[in-house]
Amino acid sequence: MAPALINANPTIFAPTKQSLRRNDLNARALWIDQRDESDEDSEAEEDIDQQEVFDLIRGISDPEHPLSLEQLHVVSAEQIELSRNRVLVEFTPTVPHCGMSTIIGLSIRVRLMRCLPERFKLDMRVKKGSHQSEDAVNKQLNDKERVAAALENPALVDVVEQCLSTASKRDDLNPLDL
Amino acid sequence: MSPGVELLSSVLEKCPANRVNIQATRVLVNFYCGKLDDSDTVIPALKGLVPLCKLPTFTSSDAIQTIESIIRHVTMKVQVQSTRYMVFRIVDTLLSRYREDLKKMGTSFLRGYINLAEGEKDPRNLLLAFSIARVLLIEFDVWTLIDDFFNITFCYFPITFKPPPNDPYGITTDDLKDALRKALTATPHFGRLALPLFLEKISIGSPTIKRDSLSAISESFPVYGPVIAREFATQLWNSLKLEIFQPTDDITENAALFTTQALIVCIYSDSTDNENIQGLARDICEECGNILKEPEKSRAKPAIKVIAALIRTSPPITHFALEQSLPLLFKLFLDPAEISTRPATLSALSSILESLRELASKADGRNVEEEQPLEPYKDQLLGVLTVGLKSSNTCVTALQGLLQWINIPGALTSEELGFVVHSVNEAAMTKDAEEDVREAALTLLKSVSLKEPHHIEENTLPLLFASLPDRGPERQATEERAYIWKTLGALEKLCAQPSLFETLVVKLSSKVELLCSITPLQEAPDGRAEERECNAAYAHAMLMTLSNVFSQKLDEKHTDLPKYLNRLIPRLYNLFVYFAYNPEPQLCVATHPHLIDAASRIIVLTMRSLNVEDQTAFVKQLFGLYLEGQFGSILEGHFKIATNYPFAPFKDGAPESQRSLSVLFSAPLLALRTEVKLPVESELAFFRSMLLWSVSSQSSDAQSVSIQKALAAVLNRHVEGLSQFLTSDAHAFWAEHIQSSSIDPSLRTRALEGWLWITKALVVRSHPSALQFADLLFTVFDDPIIGWTAARTLGQIAKASDILSKKYFAVVRILHTQKYVQHVLPRALEGCEWKGPDATQQTPYLIAVASLIKSVPRTLYSGQLTKLMPFLLRGLELDDSDLRSSIIDVINEAASEEAPESKLISEYASSLVSIMLKIVGPSNGQPVGVRLAALRCLGVLPSCVRYDVLHPSKSNVIRQLGKVLDDPKRSVRKEAVTARENWYSYHG
Repeated sequence: MAPALINANPTIFAPTKQSLRRNDLNARALWIDQRDESDEDSEAEEDIDQQEVFDLIRGISDPEHPLSLEQLHVVSAEQIELSRNRVLVEFTPTVPHCGMSTIIGLSIRVRLMRCLPERFKLDMRVKKGSHQSEDAVNKQLNDKERVAAALENPALVDVVEQCLSTASKRDDLNPLDL
Repeated sequence: MSPGVELLSSVLEKCPANRVNIQATRVLVNFYCGKLDDSDTVIPALKGLVPLCKLPTFTSSDAIQTIESIIRHVTMKVQVQSTRYMVFRIVDTLLSRYREDLKKMGTSFLRGYINLAEGEKDPRNLLLAFSIARVLLIEFDVWTLIDDFFNITFCYFPITFKPPPNDPYGITTDDLKDALRKALTATPHFGRLALPLFLEKISIGSPTIKRDSLSAISESFPVYGPVIAREFATQLWNSLKLEIFQPTDDITENAALFTTQALIVCIYSDSTDNENIQGLARDICEECGNILKEPEKSRAKPAIKVIAALIRTSPPITHFALEQSLPLLFKLFLDPAEISTRPATLSALSSILESLRELASKADGRNVEEEQPLEPYKDQLLGVLTVGLKSSNTCVTALQGLLQWINIPGALTSEELGFVVHSVNEAAMTKDAEEDVREAALTLLKSVSLKEPHHIEENTLPLLFASLPDRGPERQATEERAYIWKTLGALEKLCAQPSLFETLVVKLSSKVELLCSITPLQEAPDGRAEERECNAAYAHAMLMTLSNVFSQKLDEKHTDLPKYLNRLIPRLYNLFVYFAYNPEPQLCVATHPHLIDAASRIIVLTMRSLNVEDQTAFVKQLFGLYLEGQFGSILEGHFKIATNYPFAPFKDGAPESQRSLSVLFSAPLLALRTEVKLPVESELAFFRSMLLWSVSSQSSDAQSVSIQKALAAVLNRHVEGLSQFLTSDAHAFWAEHIQSSSIDPSLRTRALEGWLWITKALVVRSHPSALQFADLLFTVFDDPIIGWTAARTLGQIAKASDILSKKYFAVVRILHTQKYVQHVLPRALEGCEWKGPDATQQTPYLIAVASLIKSVPRTLYSGQLTKLMPFLLRGLELDDSDLRSSIIDVINEAASEEAPESKLISEYASSLVSIMLKIVGPSNGQPVGVRLAALRCLGVLPSCVRYDVLHPSKSNVIRQLGKVLDDPKRSVRKEAVTARENWYSYHG
């Protein structure tokens, strides 16, 4: 029989299609049949924003359930702060005694390490007051050497890879899979 | 002894049945039964018995003697498969012909058979053994031996047999499973023995075993009967619950739900008490009801699925299930303390409605319309859903629930439907409604429009039309414009239905006419020009909406389109011709070429829906107007055109505003039916003069192309009448307008475009001159000005175009592209390999090859891909970015297939990697499209190339892709992330 789960019956939230990005490029074109072309041809620079970072991590799976971090409200676009070369990701474990927090944090870190340009410095933290050992978790996740040591452990790497395997497939989920 | 018996048996096999009489049969039976106890002769003896027992002279006593001897003497365990197979065949034959006699033998036969069949392992024999077992279980009285029968059948469950590759016998796992299942479900006596075994297999087996067990159980219920089912009900439910609430995968979950359904149907199949449901159904409903008290938790999802499964069983259970779940959900929804769970509650309701709708749509199912299970809950449900519409976080779920509900036949009356439409309009079709809310609302309204369009017409359409302004928004007013586009999009989605479409046509065409004749607000010429642009864009959007709906209706084969020939088309011509006479055409909305383009689309679509008579009549009017300046019924409309105005767009020196209307002349000709004759005296003269007009300075580039396309269409239909053009005029045209270097280069390019379309028209119908015309292109490859254009043209001829297709009534012969490619490609490849003094001479041939590959479907060149690869790689170095991205696309397609090509890709893998990395580097200035294609190529390489081939490049690729992550374009970054991920997980 399966070992006891830390959170056997978590609350599920519906993933949404809405994006924080408000500038509607579509209507910049004057003619209705040119509205989808304006994106590709122009070489206008598009900076990396909160929505993009969120899109990278929203699909990561939870180690215990076949649900994404977005569906469990562990990460959200509003909890990501971005400045020129720094990213701060805040995440919320579902229960205060969640022992998976370090693994979830590690998965997020690995994903962003692989998908953001090298110039970004990544900081992670647990949401204030949401975990009983948040200081310890924060310290573990932000210590470069401990992260590197963790990634040398094959069992851990396996779990992380499994969580990350769905990360790219969940970008445009159909909202309300229920 | 045995060869003799062998000979006898072979003779018997081949002997026709009427040659052996009763005495002979008797003697043979005795003889063979005697030979069964000797191990030397047992095999040929059996071989003889097989045809013997089929003979009509074989009697019941023979049968009994045979079977007794077999049972007594034959030991299955020492025989090979083919011998044992013979035994089974004999038993099978005897069973089918002498069943009563075997029954009279009683348990001795059954025991004997069990001995024979025990321990059998070969699949060929088992197939037969299972079907024999089934017959025995059904027909014979096996009650006393039921345990033994259980042992020889259930030991094989579940089947894990996998046929070996290249199996000559063709027995599949499914065949065996089916045969076994039929045996297992043959008799109710198995019930008490079987169910515990199945339950055990479900709890400890692999997913396949679980599925097998579940389907076996479902099939067995009707046979085992409700009594047994009730006995095991709780145990079954506990196992099933585990599979549903903690599913291993989707298929198993569905199988478990289906089994639950079957279980319930079985338990209650003999119950007469429909009002007071006791037992398992009640327990299940109570349990799920408890879980549903917290609908936002993860266990609620499976609970709803269980309720949905119960609903699908039988009418009394449906009522009971609804009775238990709906009031609970309503109460939860209306409880003010539980507002945050409302989305989940509505979602649960929506799932229930969905299962009812599915039940109603099954053709062989129950008549849900008569039953109306939702009748007692209608008002409450309507109330809850309407409240849900009003708040933003529950709106989409409520809309989805409503969509399911209205699709249940007979669920809502017409007034209630109207009320629903009204509420949806208020809640979801407002200016600041979110994207997904609007989308869901439109799906619902579209559903309603198909059933009762008058609700949409009265309620929704006025709302949408009112929000369309009278003037076009300014260039910077992006929000306003976005909202107009959204409204037009909604109209496009809703108005395909005929009566709604009529309203749409009338309203939008009046609005366009109004917009064209509106007095401008601005004074200064710059301001007025800008205003004209914005108004024209608005009118264009409206005409495009009409055109899109036309196209949709044409695809769905609606029959109300021809009537718009007289209602809409003349209005369009009237509008544009009227404004062609305006003294300030560059400030007039109606003279804007984009707008005229949009109108031409509508005209083509209407033409496509007409029959031959209507087309002929219209073409007559058209030619009368354009070639002779006659104003006829084609110009009936809102605006009054003075009859003395000259209209001659194709005459030398015609004003630009009239020339731009040439598009409206060529458009209808594109969809000409072959039977329609052109109303001109000489087709040849008409064709000649039009072609010359298109390559003269009288026309603009766009007008020229549109006329050339029309000419291609005419040529394609009437090639016999134009044969003189093909033989003499064409070559003169080529020499004068294409080859001669004294003509203006832009006109030469135009003439090439004309050549392109003429040749296309001929290729499509596989006309003999087609290939000649194409070959002429090779002769100008070395021309410094048009050489490369000619090379590209060679490829473009092969491209499939909508206009010259069956949809547009063109004359098309099958395999025309193949013939063309087969003729042209070898010559082009030859040119690529030609080693002359000047390497650049090869370039046009390279361009021709690449352009050809880009224009045809993969299957045409996939056989030659090995030969083509080096040329394609060279083509990547050419400076044409369009060509580059299409070559990369070709490579990507080849790489994503299995087997043969991937060996090809592996060969070139490392050079591909270095070329692509060079392209995607942010500092290399390649346009976005090419970068994306190159990234896709890099991304697909790990899945089709063996790891050891590309292992040396892995770290370099990952590093270089790391730099691409900082590309200025978001789409490029996204593609780079995917590619990098694929390389990260690329292992040996």
